[in-house]
Amino acid sequence: MSQTLTLTRIETKLFVREWSGLFFVFALPLGLLTIFSLLGNDGSDGIPVSFLPTMAIGIGVGILGLASLPMILAGYREKGVLRRMSTTPVRPVKLLIAQLLLHVAAAVAVILLILFVGKVAFGAALPGSPLMFTLAALLYCVSQLSIGLLIAGLVSTAKGASVVGNILFFPSMFFAGVWTPGDVMPESLRWLRDITPMGAGMSSMQDAWAGNWPGTVHLVAMVAVTAACLALAARYFRWE
Amino acid sequence: MPENRPEDDLVVVNHLRKSYGTTVAVEDVSLTVRAGEIFGILGPNGAGKTTTVESIAGLRTPDAGTVRVAGLDPRKRRTEITSLVGVQLQASELPERIKAHEALELYASFYPNPADPAELLERLGLTKVRNTAFAKLSGGQKQRLSIALALVGNPKIAILDELTTGLDPQARRGTWELVKQIRDSGVTIILVTHFMEEAEYLCDRLAIIDAGRVVALDTPAGLVEAASSGQRITFRVAGELDDAILKGLPAVTSVHHDGDRVVVTGNDDLLVAVVTELAGRGLAPVDLHTEQTTLDDAFLALAGRNFEGAER
Repeated sequence: MSQTLTLTRIETKLFVREWSGLFFVFALPLGLLTIFSLLGNDGSDGIPVSFLPTMAIGIGVGILGLASLPMILAGYREKGVLRRMSTTPVRPVKLLIAQLLLHVAAAVAVILLILFVGKVAFGAALPGSPLMFTLAALLYCVSQLSIGLLIAGLVSTAKGASVVGNILFFPSMFFAGVWTPGDVMPESLRWLRDITPMGAGMSSMQDAWAGNWPGTVHLVAMVAVTAACLALAARYFRWE
Repeated sequence: MPENRPEDDLVVVNHLRKSYGTTVAVEDVSLTVRAGEIFGILGPNGAGKTTTVESIAGLRTPDAGTVRVAGLDPRKRRTEITSLVGVQLQASELPERIKAHEALELYASFYPNPADPAELLERLGLTKVRNTAFAKLSGGQKQRLSIALALVGNPKIAILDELTTGLDPQARRGTWELVKQIRDSGVTIILVTHFMEEAEYLCDRLAIIDAGRVVALDTPAGLVEAASSGQRITFRVAGELDDAILKGLPAVTSVHHDGDRVVVTGNDDLLVAVVTELAGRGLAPVDLHTEQTTLDDAFLALAGRNFEGAER
């Protein structure tokens, strides 16, 4: 246990020291929230008012899961950091847990930041059902991060991880309806929004925002993605 | 050299063979490392040194042959072996922004009975840079931190791979002294190197590996002795000299010519015998040299080619 705690503590310090990574994780979602809040959204076109904050959260957490986490771990593999660890008694899964914990913490920080700035700066409403929102948001974070762990398990260089992350990130945003919010998205594609992690995450957070139970399909989809990715990552993650 | 008892054999490698795809890295390596010694593995790049020590550390599965460390199979008994063997490998970095003391604390947490990180930093002369990020350390400091990480688990055996490659001569000397101190503190050391001088200076015994095979295993002095074919003298001579005259001397084993120089080999009486014979015939040898065998000659004699020539 103390190994996992020490790993988490030191990996967190390293994460915080990496300014360029922090910029994308925190500044990009905040920038999107600010720009689109200034443009305004009146809830027409079937686009809920919660679309903006959930999109900002969706993208911020998406970067953590599809870029930050896999690039750190694949970079460690590329530079032989993992190889050095493999000569010690520590088990690889502890490093995975440490990275998962610190990225969940970072994701929670992004979410709180978006909620806070939305409320204070733009007078946006907070989620109608905080409990449901917490559930939906955490599930989204974990599913996105488990995809990151799987990428880190399969790709051997930081560059490779960034390529795979990008290949997944842009379709994720598309299927989540970032460019085609609410009713703007063609009906034939909406099922993809329901089950891809970013789409399911944003939709379920929007449900909670309106004070409703998130759709079962969304929750099941996220649980399924998490379980599958974690199982595969634990199976395929190697020190070298 | 302490007397060799079987219980002193900490590492036993028997007919190890390992290939990667179609490339054979290690053809056939057998060696034994005794407790308390600095055991050198010397050879040109690509000879199979690193694969050999990686197999000892349990990072590679041999295709054939056996490896035992303190009687354990390093591939199967990972928990015991990783605590028993500290490893400093080539091309294994640390995260750029990790500070020296953080790296040691982190690695200390991995072991059941770690050394005190602060004490280890002091011992390796890293206290001043304890708060310096890994990327900002000098080459010598990085290597010393690397040694510290290999020692933080209080291992019985430390594997040090190409420890001084890329260091300036002063840092290299400093590192050598450190390695001796570590041996004197009771840690058995397996030192991989392609520097003759380093092997000669540090190692109690060493194996010379070439093209995946052990070509010799002995003390540095023993290797030099085995390779030296007695004495060798070279000289020029003004006037006619029939080789048969020299060949007829009991002390001489061979005579040949290298340009205008005569090269004569033979036993310990060679020099006196040759000079006396020449003087008796009124001939004076000019520019006469006697040659000492070095570890370089030993490699040449054992591997059949020059050490530098063997570098790939």
